[in-house]
Amino acid sequence: MAADSDPESEVFEITDFTTASEWERFVTRVEEVLNDWKLIGNSAGRPLEKGEYSNGTWEEKTQEINFADFKFSITHHFLKQDSAENDGREEPEEDAVPGAMQDLLCMNNDFPPRAHCLVRWYGVREFVVISPGANCEAVISESKCNLLLSSVSISLANTGCQVPVFVQIQQKWRRMYAGECQGPGVRTDFEMVHLRKVPSQYNHLSGLLDIFKSKIGCPLTPLPPINIAIRFTYVLQDWQQCSWPQQPPDFDALLAGEVGGVEFGKLPFGACEDPISELHLATTWPQLTEGIVVDNDVYSDLDPLQAPHWSVRVRKADNPQCLLGDFLMEFFKLCCRKESTEDILGRNSLEEEGKENSDISHALSKLTEPSTVPMSRLSVSNMVHSARKRIRRHRRVEESPLSNDVLNSILLYLFPDATERPSEGSDSKATQSNAESKVDKESEDYKLYNQLKSAPSDSLTYRLSLCLCMVNFYHGGVRGVAHLWQEFVLEMRYRWENNHLVYGLASGPPDLRCCLLHQKLQMLNCCIERKRSRDEGRKGGTGTETGRERRVSGRAPPDGGKAKLKPEGRLHPHGKLTLLNSSEPLYIPVTQEPAPMTEDLLEEQSEVLAKLGTSAEGAHLRARMQSACLLSDMESFKAANPGCSLEDFVRWYSPRDYVEEEAADENGETVVRGDLSARMKIPGNMWVEAWETAKATPARRQRRLFDDTKEAEKVLHYLAVQKPADLTQHLLPCVLQAAILKMKDEESSEDIPSVRRAIQQVISHSSKLLRHPNPDNKKLEDVINQVMEMEAVVARARSLKAKFGLGKVERGDDAENLERFVSSLQEEPEVMVIGAGRGPAGSIIHKLFVNAQRVALLSPMEEDSGRAGVAEERRPGVGGLPDFPPPAGREILLRTCVPRPAPYSKALPQRLFCVLMREDFRLAGAFSSDTSFF
Amino acid sequence: MASATDARHGQKESSDQNFDYMFKILIIGNSSVGKTSFLFRYADDSFTPAFVSTVGIDFKVKTIYRNDKRIKLQIWDTAGQERYRTITTAYYRGAMGFILMYDITNEESFNAVQDWSTQIKTYSWDNAQVLLVGNKCDMEDERVVAGERGRQLSEHLGFEYFEASAKDNINVKQTFERLVDIICEKMSESLDAADPAVTGAKQGPQLTEQPAAPHQDCAC
Repeated sequence: MAADSDPESEVFEITDFTTASEWERFVTRVEEVLNDWKLIGNSAGRPLEKGEYSNGTWEEKTQEINFADFKFSITHHFLKQDSAENDGREEPEEDAVPGAMQDLLCMNNDFPPRAHCLVRWYGVREFVVISPGANCEAVISESKCNLLLSSVSISLANTGCQVPVFVQIQQKWRRMYAGECQGPGVRTDFEMVHLRKVPSQYNHLSGLLDIFKSKIGCPLTPLPPINIAIRFTYVLQDWQQCSWPQQPPDFDALLAGEVGGVEFGKLPFGACEDPISELHLATTWPQLTEGIVVDNDVYSDLDPLQAPHWSVRVRKADNPQCLLGDFLMEFFKLCCRKESTEDILGRNSLEEEGKENSDISHALSKLTEPSTVPMSRLSVSNMVHSARKRIRRHRRVEESPLSNDVLNSILLYLFPDATERPSEGSDSKATQSNAESKVDKESEDYKLYNQLKSAPSDSLTYRLSLCLCMVNFYHGGVRGVAHLWQEFVLEMRYRWENNHLVYGLASGPPDLRCCLLHQKLQMLNCCIERKRSRDEGRKGGTGTETGRERRVSGRAPPDGGKAKLKPEGRLHPHGKLTLLNSSEPLYIPVTQEPAPMTEDLLEEQSEVLAKLGTSAEGAHLRARMQSACLLSDMESFKAANPGCSLEDFVRWYSPRDYVEEEAADENGETVVRGDLSARMKIPGNMWVEAWETAKATPARRQRRLFDDTKEAEKVLHYLAVQKPADLTQHLLPCVLQAAILKMKDEESSEDIPSVRRAIQQVISHSSKLLRHPNPDNKKLEDVINQVMEMEAVVARARSLKAKFGLGKVERGDDAENLERFVSSLQEEPEVMVIGAGRGPAGSIIHKLFVNAQRVALLSPMEEDSGRAGVAEERRPGVGGLPDFPPPAGREILLRTCVPRPAPYSKALPQRLFCVLMREDFRLAGAFSSDTSFF
Repeated sequence: MASATDARHGQKESSDQNFDYMFKILIIGNSSVGKTSFLFRYADDSFTPAFVSTVGIDFKVKTIYRNDKRIKLQIWDTAGQERYRTITTAYYRGAMGFILMYDITNEESFNAVQDWSTQIKTYSWDNAQVLLVGNKCDMEDERVVAGERGRQLSEHLGFEYFEASAKDNINVKQTFERLVDIICEKMSESLDAADPAVTGAKQGPQLTEQPAAPHQDCAC
C-alpha cells in the first residue's frame, strides 16, 4: 500500500519492483477514482422531496479500472441536485449518519417509476457500482466476491468516502449486488438473496417480516415498529374485449373499379397492430404498520380494490408497424435503386425502336394532312387509351407490372379531364387545377408546398407522387413505378403532339417555388399553350392576305422603302401618347412573351452569364446576349407604329429615359420639350444599336424567342430518362407534404400537443433540408423516422382512447379528468389514478381486468363446447372468479430504525426490499450496525 | 457561421475558389434610380453620370472579410423596366439578400417600393434579407421623398433603411456591409436554433419511448 501511494509509482509502473500485489494496486485505483470524483467526506444532503427521484435528472460517470488484466468499470450514479442549494446549506455535524443511510428510511420516493434498480431497492440518491467490464466474465466464485468486497471496504475506510459502493456479482442478468457504506462509527452492509422460485414460507408479508426481524436480531423488547410499504402490480395483456380498431385498408377493392379516383389521394394511416401491448396497474399501500394488515399463507387483507394508491403505466409495442411510415420509407428506399426505367421493364427498349419508327411515319402523315382531326371530336379518354395501346401492343399483358384495371384507374385519377365530355370544353378548365374543388389557396396548409419545394396539393405532380408511392407499396414495387412512369411520359408526349394541355397545373411560367419535376411539367404546358396559340393564330387568320404573309414568314419583310407601311401587330393604343413625328396615336404592340424558364435552365443561363466575368467587355457581351427580347420588342413596336422613333419607343418602354422640360420657344410661349435621357444618348449604346438594327416586324412573324418545339422535346426527353430513383428524389417533397398534411389532419382529431409541436419541427426542418438541390439522404431518412414516431404516438393515443372508452362517456368533469389521464399515460412513465379503484378511471381499469379475467378463464370452456355437459358443471365457478389475476409482481418494503448489534449501540436504519414474482425472488437488505459500540 | 453548402454552391458558379462563403445579392428597384451606379461605386469605386440602361441582368463581384472569413459577394444588377420583371424575378430565388432601391427625387420610384417588396416575398426564399435604400441623397434640391417617409415605409415593411448617394459615395459601403451582417446573423441564428442535425437529435427522443433504464423496475 505504502509503496503504491507514492506518486512515483504511476510513472514507473512498468518497472515497478516493489512488492505491491495486484490486489493492492486495485484498491489504490479505486481510491484514486473516488478521490477524482470528489466523493470523499461527509455526504449528508438535504432531505428529499416527494417524487424527486423520478422528476429529477440522474447522471452517471464511468471509468475503467483493472484488477490485474481483468477489466472493471466503475460508475458513479447520482441525482443531480441544485448546487446552489448545496452551497448554502450549513455544515452538517461531524459524525452525522451518511446520506445514504438516511435515504434508506426516506419514504418520499418509494417505488419510483423510472430509476436504477439499486435506487428502487435501497432508496439511495447516490452510489458507485463496480461491475465487470463489457467483455469480461462475471464474478461468481465466493472468494472472488469476497475479495472484491474487501477491496471496497478498504478503499472506503482509507478514503473516508461515505457514498455506498456496490460490486456486481454473479451473472449480469441476475442483477446481484453486494455493497457497503461507511460513516463515522457506522457501517451499512448491502446484501442480497436472489432465487428462481419464491419459497412458500416467504410468499407473504408475515414470512418476510420474520426474515427481517431475525436478520436485525434486535435485542430490544418490544421491537420498535416496522414500517411497511407494499405494492402489487397487475398486468393486463389481453385486450380482446376491445379489438384493435385499425383495419388494414383494402387497396385491391379500391382499385377494382367503381370507386372514384378520389381515394387515391388518401394516404394510409395508423398502426397495423395494437401499439399498446400491456397495461400495468400498480396498487400501493404506502404506509402500513405491522398488525394493521394480515397477509399470510391462508388469508390476505391486501385486496387491490382497497389499495389507497393506484398508478398505471402502459407498455408500448416496440416499433409497431405503421402504415404511413412504411409507405414513406418504402418510397424513400427507391432513392438507392440504380436501374433505369428500361433496365427494369426489360425488353421494352427494343420495342421502343419499333414504336419510334411507327411514330415517325405517323408524324409524317400528320404533317401532310393539315389539321387532322378537329380537337373537339377527340375525347381525352380516347387519347389516354390510344396512347397506351401503342405500348401495350408490344408487351404481353401478363408481363406488365401493373394490371390493366389498376393502371386505368390510376390514369383516370391522374387525368380526370379524360372523363369530361369534350363538349363541356375541358380544355379551358385544364389549367385550372381542380377548379371545382374547394381548395383554400390562401390556407397555410395549401401554401406548404412553398416551404417544402414540392407542388400544390391539387396539382398533377402531387397526385402523381401519391400514385407512384402507392404503386410502389402495393403494386409491384420499383417495376410498378417504372411502368406507371413510362405510361405517364407517354401521356405527356401524346398531349404535346395533340395540343392538349396537361391537366392540373397552374398556368403561367414554371413556378420556381415548386420541385423541378413540377416546373418541367409546367414548362411542357407553356410549350403546348404557345403551340396552340400559334396554330389558332394561323387558323383564325383573316382572309387570304394573312395566309400569304404566313408563307413568307422567315424571309425578311419586304422593304417598305418610301411606301407607306401598313401598321401590324397592334395590341391597343397607348391612350395618352401620340407619335412625336406625327399625330398618329402611339400603339402598344403585341410582343413576344419572354421565354419561360425552369430552375435548371435558369441556373445554366446565369452560369453562362457569370462566366463572362465582370469586365466591361463581359458586361457588354452579357447585355448583347440578353438583347433578343429588347430587339424583338423594338421590331414589334416599329411594326405597330410606322414612322416612329427611338424616342417614341423609350416613352413607352422606359418612360424615365425621356426627359421633358418646359421651355419658352421663340414666341415666348412655354412648350414642353422632350429629349432622351443622357444615358440613352451615349453613342453606340445597346439601345441605339438595337433600334438601328430592328426591322419593322410584328411579333408573330419574328423569329421565336421561345422555341416551344425544341423546349417541349427537351422536357419530354428529360422525363423519359428519369430513373425511378430520380423520380423519388423529385417527388419525395410532395410525398412528405402529403404525409405532413395527413399527420396534421389525424392529430387534429386527437389533439396531442407533442405531435403538434413535432409537426412544426418537421416542417421547418425539412424546409431547410429540401431547399438544397441535393438534400442529404440521411437527414431525409431522419425526417421520415420522425413522421413514423408521430404516427405511432397518434396510433397509441387512439388505442388508449378506445380502451378507456373515451368519447362514449358523457361530457363533464369526469370525462375531462379521464381525458387528461389517458393523454398523460403516453407522456409520463407512470400515471396516478385519481380516486384509486373508486375513481372514474379506476373503475374502467377494474372493468378491463374483470373482462380479461372472464375471457382468460372461460375461453377454454367455450372451446370445449362440444362437451357441453362438462362445461355446465364447471359453470358455478364463474361467480367466484377473482376480479384481478394474481399479481405479476409484489414488492414489499420493510423499514425500521433499531440499535444494532448491541442494545446500547446507536439506533440505525435497517431496510429490506422484497420482490416476489412468478420466477424471481429477491431480497435486498441493508443492515446498519454501530462499529464503535458493539 | 454559414453552412458549407453555400460555399459548395458558390464553387459551381465561379472558377474563383478563393473564398469561404458566397452570398448572392440582388439590387432591384424602378428604372433609373441608380442601381448600376450604386453597384459600380461599391465594386469599382467609380462613378459615371450615365450608365447605359441595363439590359436584363448584369453582375459584379466583390470579396470582403467577416470574422476571418472571405465572403464573396456576387451582386446582380437588374433592369428596372416593367418589361423585364418576369426575367429578373426568376433570379430572386437563390438570392440571400436584396437591396431595394428608390430615387429620392422621384415619387413614382418610391411608390413602387411596396410592389417590389411584394415581388420579393413572392419569388424569393423566405429568409432572404432586404435593405431599403433611398439613392441620390446628394440631390437635396430635387428631393421629393422625405427621409422620414422612407424610414416609416421601411419600418412598415420590416426592412432596414439607408439614404445613400452613389455619386458622393455616401452610405454605399455601409449598405452592403450591413446587408452582409444581417445575412450572417440570420444564418448563424438558423443554424443554432434549428439546424436539422441538431434538432433532429434533440427532438427525436421526445417522441420516442421513454428512455427506460435497462434495469428499470423488477416488479413488472
